[in-house]
Amino acid sequence: MTRSLIRFLPLACVLCAASAHADTGIGVDTWRADKLDPTGGMASQACDADGTSWLAPLQRRSPTGNLYNCAPESPRTYELGDWIYYGLIEGGYLGASGDRVALWNRYADWRRNNLVLGLLQVNLERPSDGSYVDVRASRISADDQLYQSVFGRAGAYKVQAFVRDMPNILSTDAKSIWNGVGTNNLTLPASLVPGASTPAQVAAVSAGAPLTTLGVKRSKQGLGVSTYLTPEWTAYVNLSDEERKGTRPYGGPFFFAFAFEGPPFFMQDGGVNETIKPIRDSTININGGLRYAGSQWRFDFSYSGSFYRDKYTAYDYQSPFKLSPLPVIPGAISAPLYQGQMSMEPDNDYHNLQATATRKIAWNGEISFSAAGGRMSQNDSLIPPINCQGVFGIGIGNLQVGPQNPLLYDCSKWNTTDALSQKTADMRIDTTMLDARIRLNPVSQLSLRGSVKFDRQDYRNVYLLYNPLTGQYGYPSENGTQGSIVPGEAGIFDPLTSPSALTRVRSLPLDIQTIDANAGADWRFSEKNTLGATFDFNRYEPTNRERTQIDASSFKLTWVNRSIDWLTLRVNYTYLNQTGNTYNFDPYDFTFSSSLPGYVPPAAGTPSHTVDAMRKYDMSSRDENKIDVMATFMPRDDMTLSASVRGDWNSYDAQIGRQAYDTAGATLQWDWQIAVQSTLGAYIAWDRSRLGLSNVQDQQNGAGVDPALGGANYALIGQWWANDAQRDWYAGLTFNHKFDRVRFDLNWNYLYSRGLTDYSYAGPTALAHLVGNEGPGPGNGAFPSMVYRVNSITAGVTVPVNERVALRLFDYYERGRINDWHYAGFGQGLVAGNRVYTDAGPQGYNANLIGLFVNVKL
Amino acid sequence: MGLRRCCCMLAIVLAYGLWLVPPETALAQQGKPAVAGSLPSTNLSNDVSTDPSLPRPAPGFANARVAGNPLAPEAKSVGMKTCIACHQLEADHFTHTLHALGLIAANKADPAIPVCEACHGPGSEHAKNPQAKGLIIAYTKDGGTPIDVQTRTCLTCHAGGPRDHWLGSVHQRNGLSCSDCHNPMAKFSVEGSMAKQSINDTCAQCHKDIRLQFNRRSHMPLPEGQMSCDDCHNPHGSLSSGSSLTSFPLAKTNTVNETCYQCHAEKRGPFLFEHAPVRESCLNCHTPHGSNQNTLLVAPVPFLCQQCHTQQRHPNDLQTANSLMTGKNPDERIMGRGCLTCHANIHGSNAPAGPRFHE
Repeated sequence: MTRSLIRFLPLACVLCAASAHADTGIGVDTWRADKLDPTGGMASQACDADGTSWLAPLQRRSPTGNLYNCAPESPRTYELGDWIYYGLIEGGYLGASGDRVALWNRYADWRRNNLVLGLLQVNLERPSDGSYVDVRASRISADDQLYQSVFGRAGAYKVQAFVRDMPNILSTDAKSIWNGVGTNNLTLPASLVPGASTPAQVAAVSAGAPLTTLGVKRSKQGLGVSTYLTPEWTAYVNLSDEERKGTRPYGGPFFFAFAFEGPPFFMQDGGVNETIKPIRDSTININGGLRYAGSQWRFDFSYSGSFYRDKYTAYDYQSPFKLSPLPVIPGAISAPLYQGQMSMEPDNDYHNLQATATRKIAWNGEISFSAAGGRMSQNDSLIPPINCQGVFGIGIGNLQVGPQNPLLYDCSKWNTTDALSQKTADMRIDTTMLDARIRLNPVSQLSLRGSVKFDRQDYRNVYLLYNPLTGQYGYPSENGTQGSIVPGEAGIFDPLTSPSALTRVRSLPLDIQTIDANAGADWRFSEKNTLGATFDFNRYEPTNRERTQIDASSFKLTWVNRSIDWLTLRVNYTYLNQTGNTYNFDPYDFTFSSSLPGYVPPAAGTPSHTVDAMRKYDMSSRDENKIDVMATFMPRDDMTLSASVRGDWNSYDAQIGRQAYDTAGATLQWDWQIAVQSTLGAYIAWDRSRLGLSNVQDQQNGAGVDPALGGANYALIGQWWANDAQRDWYAGLTFNHKFDRVRFDLNWNYLYSRGLTDYSYAGPTALAHLVGNEGPGPGNGAFPSMVYRVNSITAGVTVPVNERVALRLFDYYERGRINDWHYAGFGQGLVAGNRVYTDAGPQGYNANLIGLFVNVKL
Repeated sequence: MGLRRCCCMLAIVLAYGLWLVPPETALAQQGKPAVAGSLPSTNLSNDVSTDPSLPRPAPGFANARVAGNPLAPEAKSVGMKTCIACHQLEADHFTHTLHALGLIAANKADPAIPVCEACHGPGSEHAKNPQAKGLIIAYTKDGGTPIDVQTRTCLTCHAGGPRDHWLGSVHQRNGLSCSDCHNPMAKFSVEGSMAKQSINDTCAQCHKDIRLQFNRRSHMPLPEGQMSCDDCHNPHGSLSSGSSLTSFPLAKTNTVNETCYQCHAEKRGPFLFEHAPVRESCLNCHTPHGSNQNTLLVAPVPFLCQQCHTQQRHPNDLQTANSLMTGKNPDERIMGRGCLTCHANIHGSNAPAGPRFHE
């Protein structure tokens, strides 16, 4: 039986016998729908012409003040024994035209004209005992479909099953020079010689390659059961299995190309390959638990598990470009490398057990304790350090391995797993969480709360980059190409032959511990006014990071005001200060060969890893001010005006690194319930963000020993600054109206995003490339604007044919424009020097979707 | 071919709809007075007499009793029929909700179990003076029932589980009521008894700005209906304060990364070689609700990476437009995927030669 049939088994079981569980407390899969109707079927529901109540003409408002939706028409029901049933089927033709590009089809498979099942919904109810069966399905294509079934008895048990396919189109303008796309072996066509082709030859192949669509399809099926064991005890189990299949653009380094094209070399070297990664994996998720809710006690015991499996451990690719040694050693010859490898994500297992106990206490309070323990682990088979044949590195006069060629390495000593210190990964992280919290209401106007939470991740095991076949430490850098181009940079430390080689020799374990404590109070100082205050202290203790202790203290004020009939106002303000212990700008030295016995520093000293003034933004001291205002106005009984203003300003204590990150925004939304079956809504919104950073270019070609900002290596003349400013403007309109028997709906959405990245620098040595126009002093400039603009409009009419049948005709037009400077010039060709790209970048589009559907009430 | 199939399918569906004889009508077509008459009444005498042919009440409703209303302490239960006398249309809409299905069946099996009054409290004072606010537990803006009475009433049956940490949660502290998000009086959504047509629409009532971020160039498939806010957040409260580097508000799991791994299990590792900020929090580099950069990145590469990487040689160079394919010095560090073209396994590498995420 094929997998595609097997995956429907859970659904069939449910249909024959009885959705996965939708639970806001655990797991995902809380919603299943598609872009045709993201509400999962409610868009086709008409409002009851009688309104919601005989007693009031319009909709009531929620406690915040938002108008409730109109009540849907009650369904026409039929009897089937002691069951009643109702439902509908909506199907028709979907005609797509225009540009079928990735941005248009990202998560919706509208690439072809198709007969589609818009919605199948069948509901059965047995009033005598509260049993029910719900079936829902929608199918746009084989890549975009969902089927789900729920069976249960209200207040007793519920069994759910679903099958879902979701597309994720990543590129529709890709061109591959490789054969074997989608497999773990990318080979070059016969017209290219691996490791010996010119950029012109590669460009010709790329230009002639057909356009390829890259994307990943997620196929998921799930089964869930929840049941009451007693009025107090409930149990649940959910199981899902998701398979991902497809391709995505990825990397493939064969060392730099940029470093050689300009002065002083003016040559084409290295190789940059944007390869295509195959995606063939699956994940099983399981969660289950027991819950108790009594008059005094509550308990919650849960288990979550996840099991990820990848079909491939790695994929191989051929690089077309020829490598040459830097012209610094006479007679040097590069090893003819042409094959690289990319590891895939390892299979991994995850288990987590959690328990919570809550007890009601005096002062109308509650006290709650939670504990959790988990483990994530993987023990995947490791791939060899390199997949070359012959030699890698640089030979002098010839490519014969031996003492006469100390820069040349024998592939056979590195291309098997015998060259590893261990053959499987054996990595593990154990997690622990403890939490205690209390809430008290000593008087009705006052509530007090406090909590303490402890979280820890213990990183088990370390990998040592040691080759027992050679007795050497390190690894062949960049598939061996770095050492085949730059003498002495193979990435291999040998106390005898390369005692000064600076390379990684250990993995980096990252234990994390967090303690979070907070206390707060809320005081209702008048009938409809509440003030709240919360103090929070957080201590974050990572290992092997720049700081081992980071303390963040925050104070938050909350004001909720309902005292005015036509207004609900919520205001929140937070001030946060983050600081920590001594900042160690280079905590990673222990992972390098410089920490090994036998290491001999170069004559000038060991180069510094980085500049001392760098403050990584997660570790940096900072001040944050954040404000959030939400107001719901009710100017008339039939109108709501919602407004929000937000701002978040972060100032970082960093000379080098992130210096500021500010965001702000405002929205205004207006909703008018014109009549029972007529609504009009509109919104406008704006937001912005600004991220500022500084960096500094080293001045001694990687050999600088002095880490000090302003020193010889990180001279201030090399400092530069960049600002990334993003602006978004949004607008939209929604109109629904029933003209006699015909329902009309209109929806318009607009987004204009504009990002501008500008920069300035202290001197031209900050620049990656001197182009000849720079003066000796400071300068500045900017990248082209990064723009994303989308205008979409949907208009539809629903015409009843009789009481049971309606026709729906709609048109959805969308126009998208995008300019991403990363891909400037890619439309002219995907090869530039020793670089070959696959994805030509995002594309603008004009696309139209027209649908003619028949809606039949069963 | 496709058009022909389309026409055939349309014809079949139309023929079914137009000509098939409707089956016998049932409850909702009996007319509203008839519906009201068929609904059970609450036994006011507490003299329980159970029809042995009916199943026992479902456990979830077995303990349902008339809700207490502190604003009408003298009120007595009047039963559903009395309610329907005025609220006939509401009852009609309520009929096909899960609450109605369960409560009505439970009431039939045990008349001591109320229907309307399980949530709205005893109705006698309200029946005497329907205009007076607060005499019935109302879940509306101007109904006169305090928010904490509303939420407490819902939690009488819905305590625990996902709502274990409602008290003290950011939504509770900001004075939200259950009925700001839920409306069980009709089937407004296909699941979850939501106040709007979907979970996402419901959250967008207040968080419109967040919802609009999902319209940006890169986003998770929320506007397409493939996921909901609840996949990552528990709006009923959680153990996450959101103030630490590894957490976010109303997180559904104990850490940021644990939430992301629910759908991106391949990123879990642990990898042979870890990227420290990745292990710490996905949010160090990604903004979850939408970005105008590719793949939800906070800032454009290479500047995103250069916030931390100032190691000697190539990481700390200032790139300009001259480094683009159209510039004088095309440079792979900024073109296309930028840094990620070479450091492709940026989330961690399991290759023994992958400390710099090249393999």
